[in-house]
Amino acid sequence: MSKAKGKSVGGAAGVYRPEAVQDVAESVGISSLSDSVASALASDVEYRIQQVIEEAARFMRHARRTTLTTADMDNALRTLNIEPLYGFGGATVPPPFRRAAPFPHMQGQGHGPIYFIEDDEVDFDRVLREEKITVPRGVSWAAHWLAVEGVQPLIPENPPAVPRDSDQPPQQDGAANTAALAAQKKPQQQQQQQQQLVKQVLSRELQLYYARLTASLLPPTDNAKRTAALASLRSDAGLQALLPYLVKWIGEGVVNVLREGSGSESDGRTLEVLLDAVSAILENNTLFVEPYLHQILPPLLSTLLHTSLPPTHASHLRATASSTLARVLTTHSTTYPSLTPRITKTLLLALLGTSTNFSNGHQGASFGTRIGAIRGLGAIGKEAVRKGLVEGGGARVLGKELENRMDDGDENTDGTKDALVDVVMNAFRMLHAPSDMPEAMDPSSPEAARLMETVGEFFAQRLVGDCAWAMGILGETPSS
Amino acid sequence: MSANTPQSSGAMSPAQAEASSSTPTDRLVLEYLRSRGHANAVKALSDVLGTDPSTSAKSSETTVSSEELLKGIAVYAQKASRPGENSLKDSSNAAQELNSLSPSNIQNLLASLGSIGAEEILSTDPTDKQEGFRELESWVEGSLDMYRPEFRPILFPIFCHFYLELVQRGFKDAALKFFSSFSNTLAPAHNAVLHHLSTLLLPAHVQNDELAQRFRNEKYVIKMSRSGFGLLVGWLTEGVGGEAVGSGEGFSGETGKRGRSAVMRVVNNHLRFDVTAASTTTLSSSEWEESTGLLSSLIPGSSLSSSSIPRPQTFNSSKGELKLGPAPISEELRAETDRVLREHAMLDRDPGAQYDTYSRLTAPQGLVSPAVADLPPLPPSFKTVDVQREVERVRDHRKRIRLEPSSLNSVDLNSAAGTAARARGLPSICAYTLHDVGEGSPCSTFSPDISLMAAGFAESHIRLWSLKGEKLKALKNDLSPNSIRDSTSLSKLQEKDGTTSRKLIGHSGPVYSVAFDPLSGSAAPPKYLLSASADATVRLWSLNTYTNVVAYRGHQNPVWDAQWSPMGVYFATGSRDRTARLWSTDRVSCLRIYAGHLSDVDCVRFHPNSLYLATGSSDWTARLWDVQRGTCIRVFIGHQGTLSSLAMSPDGKYLASAGEDLAINLWDLGSGRRIKKMTGHTASIYSLAFSAESSLLVSGGADWTVRCWDVKSSGGQNKAKENGSSEVSPFRGEENENFETTDLVATFPTKRTPILNVHFTPRNLCLAAGVYLGSDPK
Repeated sequence: MSKAKGKSVGGAAGVYRPEAVQDVAESVGISSLSDSVASALASDVEYRIQQVIEEAARFMRHARRTTLTTADMDNALRTLNIEPLYGFGGATVPPPFRRAAPFPHMQGQGHGPIYFIEDDEVDFDRVLREEKITVPRGVSWAAHWLAVEGVQPLIPENPPAVPRDSDQPPQQDGAANTAALAAQKKPQQQQQQQQQLVKQVLSRELQLYYARLTASLLPPTDNAKRTAALASLRSDAGLQALLPYLVKWIGEGVVNVLREGSGSESDGRTLEVLLDAVSAILENNTLFVEPYLHQILPPLLSTLLHTSLPPTHASHLRATASSTLARVLTTHSTTYPSLTPRITKTLLLALLGTSTNFSNGHQGASFGTRIGAIRGLGAIGKEAVRKGLVEGGGARVLGKELENRMDDGDENTDGTKDALVDVVMNAFRMLHAPSDMPEAMDPSSPEAARLMETVGEFFAQRLVGDCAWAMGILGETPSS
Repeated sequence: MSANTPQSSGAMSPAQAEASSSTPTDRLVLEYLRSRGHANAVKALSDVLGTDPSTSAKSSETTVSSEELLKGIAVYAQKASRPGENSLKDSSNAAQELNSLSPSNIQNLLASLGSIGAEEILSTDPTDKQEGFRELESWVEGSLDMYRPEFRPILFPIFCHFYLELVQRGFKDAALKFFSSFSNTLAPAHNAVLHHLSTLLLPAHVQNDELAQRFRNEKYVIKMSRSGFGLLVGWLTEGVGGEAVGSGEGFSGETGKRGRSAVMRVVNNHLRFDVTAASTTTLSSSEWEESTGLLSSLIPGSSLSSSSIPRPQTFNSSKGELKLGPAPISEELRAETDRVLREHAMLDRDPGAQYDTYSRLTAPQGLVSPAVADLPPLPPSFKTVDVQREVERVRDHRKRIRLEPSSLNSVDLNSAAGTAARARGLPSICAYTLHDVGEGSPCSTFSPDISLMAAGFAESHIRLWSLKGEKLKALKNDLSPNSIRDSTSLSKLQEKDGTTSRKLIGHSGPVYSVAFDPLSGSAAPPKYLLSASADATVRLWSLNTYTNVVAYRGHQNPVWDAQWSPMGVYFATGSRDRTARLWSTDRVSCLRIYAGHLSDVDCVRFHPNSLYLATGSSDWTARLWDVQRGTCIRVFIGHQGTLSSLAMSPDGKYLASAGEDLAINLWDLGSGRRIKKMTGHTASIYSLAFSAESSLLVSGGADWTVRCWDVKSSGGQNKAKENGSSEVSPFRGEENENFETTDLVATFPTKRTPILNVHFTPRNLCLAAGVYLGSDPK
């Protein structure tokens, strides 16, 4: 309504034009309608339409809506003792009006655009066959606290709080005007805010503890101190208040190391320590970790799936990360039923997704991710491994890639290739234990063909020697 | 006609003295006109004089001073010397020629001459109006800053009259041109009316349209200070006065003069000035709102032709004092309640409970309580449920969370003290969100004991939910009253299984209002539910059987609202047929019809002592009715749009009303005056609720927010930003902050949920209900 107001106040020429009246007249067989009559009729029609709309707006207001619907128009027409227009009701969503293509012979006659409702063509056969009619659930209600003693709780049901401008310190230097500088300043400000929060919420003892703990964990310290710090994390009670900061610290640490990606010794050691800290936190029974799981998982998965971990630490790091992941999943998947499927999905994507680095020559890099993915799947369980390697065709893809790279014989990637093969074979062992007395498979049997098809030539060659194992991996009992 | 301007202001302006001297001039004019053969003019003038016999009677006795006579004759002599000019010119020129006369004479004379002459001119030349309005607008905008807010209101009625006259005379194109060139400056404040006028394009429309007829038949009242009025008269007569010297070019020309006389004609025929002695600076904008507009038909009892200026205050004070105190309670019920309370105190061993007595509920000071005889008739004896209700009322009073929003004023809300103050001043709000609502839910309500929630839907049904998760079990259909002996035998007659939700089907149109009966108060679940619908019926539903018991028919049009009287038994409805009605549950026809509103009655609310009924209407006013006599006793004018919601304070002193102008007005019922205007909402306000102590007002609306207002603070525009001091409210949204008044103490946004209903429990917990909209359909 209000939109319509603004328009007509501005234009004021009327939306219903005499030409339209003449068109209608022609359609009912009156060919000689004089201009003055048409103009008067157009004015009158417009007045009547506005009357109906004003009436309909009342119904809209009383229905506590802000969109005028066809039902409002029908109600208005009924109230004004006019027969309602049938055929437009029933839709909550306003009908999709489409703009018609302009008629060529009507150009230049002052016609505005014509709108119409497009009807879909319905294929009855298809509708009858599909029979996908579901009954809606009906209206339901949910209650939540909009405010508790005048403070709006930050729960998902409430919209996020609007940040107040006054909180940010005024920028003093004039040079900060440029966009680049402002962008640089933002993280700084955030950090400042973070520190302020720490000071406000935490007791001085805890702040001191936090500073000491983080300092003693990071590399330039001796082993004894680090072990003591980890032990403290693992067993001390009363660290709940520090948990958000610790989690954040770990997350930022991992991101910093991985982003630089130098692959040096010290980076590997840092990552190791951070992973140890994560597992220590998870082991601490006094901590309530669940609200922070969504912050703990990204560093774990990043470490697991990162393409280029420091080569000296890579396998150890991935092993630690996957075991920690396994721990998280076993402890918390009962309370978060969606946790396992979500992580499985991420890992499967990493395993099967097309390697982005394939074209830029870093062939070895994507292997790292895949090793991590397979290890992660192993941490989740047998089913996940089967899904990834056998059903999803992960082994076949990997085998093909491995074969391709075997040929180029690059020295640097040899290590990772072997590691990948090892990991895959380990995963296969996890699926089904290899038999003590391997019995070769008949290469011409249908099982061998299936094996070839599922895991690919590369791994099929390695499995074909043990019939029972191969069949176990395929998920079938050996035929003989 | 001619006498109106000065006489209307007569009560307090010097014009009074001049008014008596105006009549001899009239006589002179009449004679003159007769001699010149202006038969029409003679008739018109004598008509006007005839309507005011008291003045004419007086005039016959007053003698004309020789000096005046001389002056008067001089003019006519001058005119007579130019017989060649046509009569139209004469009358329009009269403005200049009469300058030598004393102002009041000029006005009257000029008006009588000008109106007739200008009419004829305008029938030939519609451009006059364009010119006249342009002159007026530039004069108003060029006036001194102190006068400008005072002059601006005059533009709107003159614009409307010019437009209507053009349409009436069939100058459609000229009318459209006039509208498009001048409506833009007026659009922000008068959008709704302008839009309505813009749809009138043919003379027949003007004849049939209600608003247009009101404009033509009633006087548009404008409040003006004495000095401002003097300037306006000066401009109308001489083309000077005020500061619009720059626009003088138009005035020297012929068109300018004719345009000005067109303006003057409207001023004389259709405007009425409420001239105050107060200086312009002391008048706030809210006073302009209250005293400007087509008031005479809004205020009952003031006929269209009466000479007095219609003022809501005059009407309200003429209706005498109101009995706003709490309703009396019978001695037996009081004694029984106290006895039960004492028993409970002994049994419960609750240390606080021993002080529970009925006398703790003290009446607010300074209010007259009604006698039992004043109340609408109620059942003479009380029942168990009455005792339970009263007992619970006393307990609620003790256990209530005290809300003192005034504690928020002096503290910085970000500090630790601020948190404590917020906890003391602001309520806890529990939001009930409806999901998967089909075509929308126009209404929702909570039962007084908050065990049930009901919502009416656009699909014509009503849904009930148990908020406690209990099963809603109906009584069996085939029960015989003989088999019921006690409560256990009754519970056996209930259906074995039930659900926590019930659907009530019966209406044949969208359900616009639902209300639970208040009889059992917060002590027990209600027994009945009322619903009002677009099918023009009000239905009563039994909550024992979950069936429709009665359909009350009587309204001719959709019923917008239905509300129970605080004591039960009676209820009131408001409808599109412009009436509010009073019903009792045991009769199918209505008991009283409250007629007087000029448009739909959109909302109704009872006063807590059920003596009075407040109604809010689409004619932009709220009224207070004497329930028993059926007369209007207060009228509240000040909203600039349709009223959407009302709330009565539990202490009986205040009425809060929300309108489509996005403002909430707080009215003092006793005096009928507006206490303050609260703004801050950015879309329609759907519901208002007072806290149990009447200290806090909560509102919810289409802008997806629940807002809390401090009732006791003085309000006013927020100047914090300009002063550079800290903000008062910490919950500032992204909306424009300038129009939020300072008494808005908190804003709680929701996620895409327009708030249909806000409700305070007797213990001051706030409940809000809304419909989640889902994603944007666009």
